[in-house]
Amino acid sequence: MTKPRLATCSLTGCFGCHMSLLDIDERLVELVDLVEFDKSPLTDKKEFDREVDIGFIEGGCSSDHHIRTLTEFRKNCRILVSVGACALNGNVPAMRNTVGLKECLEEAYLNGPTVEGKGVIPGDEDLPLLLDKVYPAHEVVRIDYFLPGCPPSGDAIWSFFKALLTGHEPSLPYRQFKYD
Amino acid sequence: MSEPSTVSRARKLEIDPVTRVEGHGKVTIRLDEAGKVQEARFHVVEFRGFERFIQGKLYWEVPVIVQRLCGICPVSHHLAAAKAMDAIAGVDAVTPTADKLRRLMHYGQLLQSNALHIFHLASPDLLFGFGAPAEKRNIVSVLETFPEIGKWAIFIRKYGQEVIKATGGKKIHPTSAVPGGVTQNLCVESRDALRRDIEQILSWCLLALDKLKQIVAEREAEHKDFAYFESNYLSLVGANGVMDLYDGTLRAIDSAGGVIFDGVEPCLYREQLIEEVRPWSFMKFPHIRSLGRDQGWYRVGPLAQLNCAASIDTPIAEAERRLFMNIGAGRPVHATLAYHYARLICLVHSAEKIQQLLFDDDLQGDDLILSGQRRGSGVSCIEAPRGTLIHHYEVDERDQVTRANLIVSTTSNNEALNRAVASVATTYLSGQEITEGLLNHIEVAIRAYDPCLSCATHALGQMPLIVTLEDAAGEVVDRKVKQ
Amino acid sequence: MNGQEFFFTVDGRQVRAEPGQTIIAACDAAGIYIPRLCHHPDLKPAGHCKLCSCYIDGRRASACTMPAAPGMVVISDNEELNNDRRVVLNMLFVEGNHICATCEKSGDCELQALAYRLDIPSPSLPYQWQRYEIDASHPDVFIDRNTCVLCSRCIRASRDLDGKSVFGFAGRGLGMRLNIDAKAELDETTFSAIDKAAKICPVGCIVIKRTGYRTPVGLRRFDVTPIGSDIENKSGAKPK
Repeated sequence: MTKPRLATCSLTGCFGCHMSLLDIDERLVELVDLVEFDKSPLTDKKEFDREVDIGFIEGGCSSDHHIRTLTEFRKNCRILVSVGACALNGNVPAMRNTVGLKECLEEAYLNGPTVEGKGVIPGDEDLPLLLDKVYPAHEVVRIDYFLPGCPPSGDAIWSFFKALLTGHEPSLPYRQFKYD
Repeated sequence: MSEPSTVSRARKLEIDPVTRVEGHGKVTIRLDEAGKVQEARFHVVEFRGFERFIQGKLYWEVPVIVQRLCGICPVSHHLAAAKAMDAIAGVDAVTPTADKLRRLMHYGQLLQSNALHIFHLASPDLLFGFGAPAEKRNIVSVLETFPEIGKWAIFIRKYGQEVIKATGGKKIHPTSAVPGGVTQNLCVESRDALRRDIEQILSWCLLALDKLKQIVAEREAEHKDFAYFESNYLSLVGANGVMDLYDGTLRAIDSAGGVIFDGVEPCLYREQLIEEVRPWSFMKFPHIRSLGRDQGWYRVGPLAQLNCAASIDTPIAEAERRLFMNIGAGRPVHATLAYHYARLICLVHSAEKIQQLLFDDDLQGDDLILSGQRRGSGVSCIEAPRGTLIHHYEVDERDQVTRANLIVSTTSNNEALNRAVASVATTYLSGQEITEGLLNHIEVAIRAYDPCLSCATHALGQMPLIVTLEDAAGEVVDRKVKQ
Repeated sequence: MNGQEFFFTVDGRQVRAEPGQTIIAACDAAGIYIPRLCHHPDLKPAGHCKLCSCYIDGRRASACTMPAAPGMVVISDNEELNNDRRVVLNMLFVEGNHICATCEKSGDCELQALAYRLDIPSPSLPYQWQRYEIDASHPDVFIDRNTCVLCSRCIRASRDLDGKSVFGFAGRGLGMRLNIDAKAELDETTFSAIDKAAKICPVGCIVIKRTGYRTPVGLRRFDVTPIGSDIENKSGAKPK
């Protein structure tokens, strides 16, 4: 029997959820037994070329590039899990939603105290287009499961994904169910 | 990836996403009709805008908010912001208990982050070879093929995370550093648990260092020449130039080891550093003001930490530092891949520091938070795992942030990252049949800097690092964009 | 105890009450927790948040305002009611800007704790992203309307306990805001950090300055046990 496959991606977040995935520590060995890693920033696989069982989404959606990535994940993954506050509700990066993108860009590129000269706001054909707001993943594609936390602890990630991988409905004990 | 040689046309290669680095990056390489590298760019494709949306927040919230810049080195941002906010709260020196708890947390962070980079992200390249098959180049293969190294990877990183949790309540995004001090001391149970394992952790760090030295010895030429260039360096140092990764003054040296500036208080960073925005590159290039754009760029991180320090105050790391500096024969060590070697020495140093601190009774003290006369501005520097990190805040009389400026480690390495990418692209790709393995060489060069692209995007947004490629004669290659 | 006590049933359990006692008060005393946000034992009931809405003799009503009566049959803990509570919480989350990860009230926040207790992994309604400015004019207290849930606790506390009426509501619907008794900002009012109203906010809206994050993670009010556990533990009843 082939092992289920797991793909992960990190959109507008801090990579902390991926770090928390590694915080399962010695259980990594057990995870590797349970699952085969597919496309992920932790591997060098850059494209989907087969069906994947579970997609792990970290981060909110803030550019057209993210929309493409999310859509691709939806298309190629049987089950999609939003992991962590940024994917669930935008979290800290979404603080820009009430301020406005323009002001944020101007502060960073034109008004910073160590910016030399007048500065310039970036824009290039090789760069993604920024969205007006940072969107939770479920406002862009259908999400099957939500795992809250900033980040969810390694223990939470372990109990959640182990349940999913062994065909059980995930459910977290109270101490692992946190928004922060 | 390869194209029939009969078809000769200009084309663009993309490495997207750059993997096994923290955050989101992409490389584009433009080849001319002869297959010669014309241009290489390292893009970071994220924008968040912390400097703006932090405005209006209450100053004590900042250490908790800004650490969301980065999930790998949240402690560096948490502590840098807390130190800056000490100044805002009018506290020039926190209590010994607070200072040592923060240091312990910071060394825990350096331990876990450096271990993460060495083992989980970079080691597949070093153990399997730069051109090894892509499916082999990951931590899973390391666990399977080198279980002993896999064990170091898991347990050294885990130990660092446990130190952070014991001092800050959580492994990722702790909350214990507040303006003027810390909110909790280290309980005896946690201390004893950490004491039990530190010898073992230190010995594994040393074994990892030996392993790396062995790899370097076996592939000496590659490690010496790969993406080699000389540069200036910047780092914090403590009194008498002793390595201090938590606090101190700024020192910059040139490529021969001469001092550019020294003893600069973090609050005066603006007198020394400035960030250029080149209209054609859309990115900030920090550089040393007095040297200007072309000569003033510098590198930060473990290599800079070692090149700038006069000595290390822990015995094993100091002995290793002396061996390491022999490579430069009296000058700084410049090789890009020497970053890994330097990072392992910092790893050992962090483990030694943790060991020292765990036997210091001040960690169980109760004098945790001080307050003083409010000020309007606070600047701090810390040596994050990836190098010098600068946080600068202005706060009004209502306690709200009015301005924030962050120069993060990876930003300071932008110029170097571009040069590394360009150097490898020109050496390995020009006129070659492009294979996946060859493209990985580019990523190997990027990974050496352990770029924290997540951090770097706090402000730089979509920072396309456009590389100026030079030909053999040192002439700038034409930068015509796209076909 | 004046001897006129009587009994009614809540989710099949006998609960003792006195004349005039509300259902929620009688349940609290009996160790039965009914979810609530606007209710506070020191304040007059307001019936604002609708989280304590129960079936009372077959009809929906707020347990915080409805007096208990002999023989009354109350249903509080069933899937339909809990789902409605989830919808209410969901709306409160998306109408405000609740960044729990960095909020200094996190771990001590009743809105968050209710979402934990009712097992809401994430709000699922579309976020509104309304812009609110923080009022930090007062030297000791700040108001962050991003997290205000319009529970009116501060309004009632200031009016009834502090005798000041510093707070009120302005506007309606999505435009409804917590208002203060001043032209511009809080420092123009008589508000003080020692007012009862300064410490009664269930969320991170009215907060004493320079006290954030002082309680270590793991020791905060709702880190280990769900909201309502204190009430349920009174009778030895097990938290859910």
